[in-house]
Amino acid sequence: MSEAGLLRMRLNGHPVVAPCEPARILLDLLRDDLHLTGTKRGCDLGTCGCCTVLVDGRPTLSCLTLARLADGHDVTTIEGISPPQGLSPVQRAFVESGATQCGFCTPGFIVTATALLRDHPHPSRAEIERAIAGNLCRCTGYTKIVEAIATAAKDGA
Amino acid sequence: MHLDPFALHRPTSVDETVRLAGSLAGRFDYLAGGTDLLPNYKMHLNLRPNLIALEDVGELRGHGAGRFGAMERLAELDDDPAIRAEYPVLADAVGEVATPLVRASGTVGGNLLVETRCFFFNQSYFWRESLGFCLKADGDRCHVVPQKEKCYATFSGDLAPALMALDAEVEVAGPAGRSRRPLEALYDAAGDGIRRVHLAPGELLVAVHVPAASRGLHGRYKKLRVRPSYDFPELGVAVAGRWDGDRVASLRLAVGGVEPHPRRFDALTEPLVGSALSDDRLRALADEVMRQLRPVHNTFLLPDYRKRMIGVYVRRAVDEARRGSAS
Amino acid sequence: MNATAPPPSARLLGGRIPYVEGPLKVTGRAEYTDDIQRPGMLVGRVLRAPWPHARLVALDVSRARALPGVYAVLTGEKYPTPFGVLPITHDETAIAVGKSRYIGDIIAAVAAQDERTAEAALALIRAEVEPLPEYSDPRMGVQPVAEPIHARGLNGSNIQKEVLQHFGDVDAAFAGAAHTARVRGTFAGVTHAFTEPLVTIAESTPDGRLTVWSATQVPHYLHRALAEVLGIPMHRIRVVKPEVGGGFGGKSDPLPHEIVCAALAIETGRPVKVLFDREDVFYTNHGRHPTQNDVKIALDRDGNIVAYDIEALIDGGAWSSFGTVTTYYNGVLSMGPYRVPNFRYKGRRVYTTKPPSGAMRAHGGTNLRYSIELALDILAEETGVDPFDLRLRNALPPNSVTVNQFRITSTSFRECLEAVRAKSGWAEKFRRLPYGRGIGLGCGFYISGSNSPIHFTPKMPQSTVHLKVDMDGGIAVHSMQADIGQGSNTLLAAIVAEVVGVDLERVHVQRVDSDVSPIDLGSYSSRVTFMMGNAAKAAAESLLVPLLEAAAQLLGTTPDRVAVGHERYYRRDAPEQGVTFLEALHGAMETRGALTASGNYRSPSMGGSFKGARAGTAPAYSFAAYVAELAVDVETGEYKVEKIWAAFDCGRALNRLAVEGQIQGSIHMGLGQVMGESMNYRGARLFNPSLLEYKIPMPQQMPDVEILLVGKDDPEGPFGAKEAGEGPLIATLPAVGNALYDAIGVRFTELPITPDRVLRGLDLRAKEGRPWKGH
Repeated sequence: MSEAGLLRMRLNGHPVVAPCEPARILLDLLRDDLHLTGTKRGCDLGTCGCCTVLVDGRPTLSCLTLARLADGHDVTTIEGISPPQGLSPVQRAFVESGATQCGFCTPGFIVTATALLRDHPHPSRAEIERAIAGNLCRCTGYTKIVEAIATAAKDGA
Repeated sequence: MHLDPFALHRPTSVDETVRLAGSLAGRFDYLAGGTDLLPNYKMHLNLRPNLIALEDVGELRGHGAGRFGAMERLAELDDDPAIRAEYPVLADAVGEVATPLVRASGTVGGNLLVETRCFFFNQSYFWRESLGFCLKADGDRCHVVPQKEKCYATFSGDLAPALMALDAEVEVAGPAGRSRRPLEALYDAAGDGIRRVHLAPGELLVAVHVPAASRGLHGRYKKLRVRPSYDFPELGVAVAGRWDGDRVASLRLAVGGVEPHPRRFDALTEPLVGSALSDDRLRALADEVMRQLRPVHNTFLLPDYRKRMIGVYVRRAVDEARRGSAS
Repeated sequence: MNATAPPPSARLLGGRIPYVEGPLKVTGRAEYTDDIQRPGMLVGRVLRAPWPHARLVALDVSRARALPGVYAVLTGEKYPTPFGVLPITHDETAIAVGKSRYIGDIIAAVAAQDERTAEAALALIRAEVEPLPEYSDPRMGVQPVAEPIHARGLNGSNIQKEVLQHFGDVDAAFAGAAHTARVRGTFAGVTHAFTEPLVTIAESTPDGRLTVWSATQVPHYLHRALAEVLGIPMHRIRVVKPEVGGGFGGKSDPLPHEIVCAALAIETGRPVKVLFDREDVFYTNHGRHPTQNDVKIALDRDGNIVAYDIEALIDGGAWSSFGTVTTYYNGVLSMGPYRVPNFRYKGRRVYTTKPPSGAMRAHGGTNLRYSIELALDILAEETGVDPFDLRLRNALPPNSVTVNQFRITSTSFRECLEAVRAKSGWAEKFRRLPYGRGIGLGCGFYISGSNSPIHFTPKMPQSTVHLKVDMDGGIAVHSMQADIGQGSNTLLAAIVAEVVGVDLERVHVQRVDSDVSPIDLGSYSSRVTFMMGNAAKAAAESLLVPLLEAAAQLLGTTPDRVAVGHERYYRRDAPEQGVTFLEALHGAMETRGALTASGNYRSPSMGGSFKGARAGTAPAYSFAAYVAELAVDVETGEYKVEKIWAAFDCGRALNRLAVEGQIQGSIHMGLGQVMGESMNYRGARLFNPSLLEYKIPMPQQMPDVEILLVGKDDPEGPFGAKEAGEGPLIATLPAVGNALYDAIGVRFTELPITPDRVLRGLDLRAKEGRPWKGH
């Protein structure tokens, strides 16, 4: 790892230092090096959205992000979004509305939905549909996902 | 999928970037949002040994007063109601780019300079090797129109037609300093899917400037694609204009998603200024644009369909812009 | 077995039960195969053939083997035993032996210290090959060919399976018919596109055992295939199914990479992971077959269906997979939901040099149904009868037998039609909406679990469930049923909780692990609710016996006088006198120790005695009637399906949340096949092996779906339930197809119906001078 250096970032609120070569992809660093496996690898080409994380609060495709560019930044994964006990309002709404089936896309949707409701606490149905149109779900037909996000919004997530 | 090793450079100023680019002459790619470059790198498309990440060059960020930094993220424009109010054609185009997640990282400059696309090019190394490499990457022939000279890959950015319709200029930094040129001059109209932009080695796209006269133009960007998200344009039609009652006070039209570069159709729209745009004249305009553009079979939808849609989309875009003007 | 409605005290079944593993999934804590780390794990990678069809003359792997960091290089000769999901068509090998049969066929594999080294090693392998003819179209293979793709092709052709069936006298029926209609449908292949890529981890340990973790929906068949190909007895192999990120049939065959991964683990003595890129997943395929069918239907003067005459030409790709079943299903799944007194079918599945097709959600019933429902729409129009009336007249009655001897027990098809007709406002809309807007009816019929287990003699149970409860009062549930997102873990837990009368949170469904899970045949043929549900119910009833005995003893009565309450057992004659679940449990344990119970299910014997008679037999069938309403942009050919009314007969819906989710997801998937999804081949080459170019519909394309669950209890289903996982897809396609006709007067018989095809259809109609709704 002649090119390797140390990456320093805040990961889920805590400082992390990790060896990281320039060509390392953030998703691979999170999953394979740091064992944060909640972030999923679905297509690796930016299409499925399963790998969505927050970088400085911004939903980001971690499969299309060089890990080194997270140096000095805040990265939040699904593990960081989840409270130590219980579920966040968005997560609870996903469970109760049946918005998760196989669950593989779910962490990405939770991250996207959490950011959406932070910025737009009362989205319309059309706004929800548009906001999740970069996350692919093959199980639900999206119906219950949209319902869950609307429910979480109503409950003041 | 891993990336092959490269050296990563992180300049913090435009000058430093230009110097670095000059020293790496031709052996680098700029990394903006990465949403187009990194998939291509994962598929081993035209790898370079150096990446210059523009992330930390503060001057490239921001938008306002008609200036759009090259590294401004599309999501920043998407979320800004002022864009919708002042440049509806641009707001349309930004909102149609790929997906919200791509827009969250993708940038203005990245979309303007997005790599041309083709069914035979945007494939893995294995796929391309198994067919025989093409002109645009690792090979010497074209599979779309079999010959060895010209690449038919399609320009697939959404912002360029919209910004052309707004008479935008690009600000370029180079070894000789800053310069400005019309956006259409950024693209090599005589080139092809490979030789597609006029940027000298070491030059850097800094910002896009939309003239004050274009603020408030009524406009519309209409994009043909199979799904309302994800898909690159199979056709993108941008219109911006002003109407004085029924009379056309100004009208600009640009089309992307069909040829290797986006095209502006001033020669067809200028004669319309000053008179009312009857349905017949609008139809004639649309038909002529359709006649001048030649889609090839290198995207999902068939070329004859895409060609026919040029006529429909041009007519509708102009009509909807005009109706927006009336309302 | 008699139907048992949920007891009056039902707390769970029939309601909306959130998934028991939901909290793990929404927090990223659910463990999928790729999340598993093993110490010293190597990366396994496969080399794919770049040729459509080639004889492998020589493979030089010496340079790959010599590369530092490479632990093993495998070629086909090491494990040449053929396998396949059906015992009668073992024609696959883990790695190609002698020749490769499609672009993407696996011809070698390596295990290396990391991904880069593995790929570098693959690049060092040199192949000497002799190119063989490409057969990209099934029509190229129906006659004897120069180089059959497999030696087992029929009479030197590439025909993998031919089915000829004739019941009654079809020619006579057509000769005497008052009306006939014919639809020739052409269907592009589609694929599952589950979000979790294929991935397997294998580890061979010094105790002589092999453990395989895999993203599979049928762990048992994988278990068998591993044993056969690797030559290891099943009891020395342990198959574990972690959480699975969707399957839809695409994880139901034992797949070559699973065996390759195990072989690499054995070769290296180290854990190995094979994780596929999305492109690899597309090449593995096993999706719905590209198909051409030809459906002819005859009516008598009163509008009764008198005959079906059906042909199907099915593009199989390089292997058999489920193909023999596919070939039968493409005919026999026409035997409902209507009475068909005469039936003839000729089906051929032909090998091609393309990625193999296999089983995909609503396997075999989807393309066939599209053509049938269009033909019925044509007949309704020709005879001036409302499409609903035509179908109502011909609906199969409950407790009937079809001409090919399918046993139909429960059907609420009539109720489906009536409900959806009323709700959709059909009478005001059909042929009355303005040009460009349309409404259409499509129906569905599907098996609720294949009666024929693939690997078992029919005498063995298709599902077994084990329960164990110790003094802590938690009930551990073991079964090899495979939850792939459809909610079977939740249903399993809910059935146990309901019968035993305890809180759902007491019931812990254990991860599928062949060391401890009794065999259930897994998630395919929409069998799980029906078969596992019955096994679970039997197991729970058996567990209840000692609990009620203990309660009776404590209450000073007899077990038959004890009722099951909520966490409590009480005297029927004195409900205020009861004991808690834990008191009963501990009472029972005084004599027995920890309680265990087992339950199983085997489907009753059914079907005729002719060749292929078992294909399509099922202990129950689902029925559907959907109405779609849509709007077409007649200038661009783009259309939006705005609303679907979906009436479905799944018997009693045990978990309405899950049933709704299955219907919504099925409609989404069916809509994909109608609107844009296709395995886009030019010749034998797949042009769109990516989720960007494989056009799964987006949220904005989903219609508003109104679900009408009108099923009556099935007599044999657990608590009256039938399947809801696959059947709900089928009716989507013809409902949209018929709505398009209502909107613009064009019959689309080629799927997907992309905007360019819509315009072509409109052009053709204009050329023929057939005005529609005044246009």
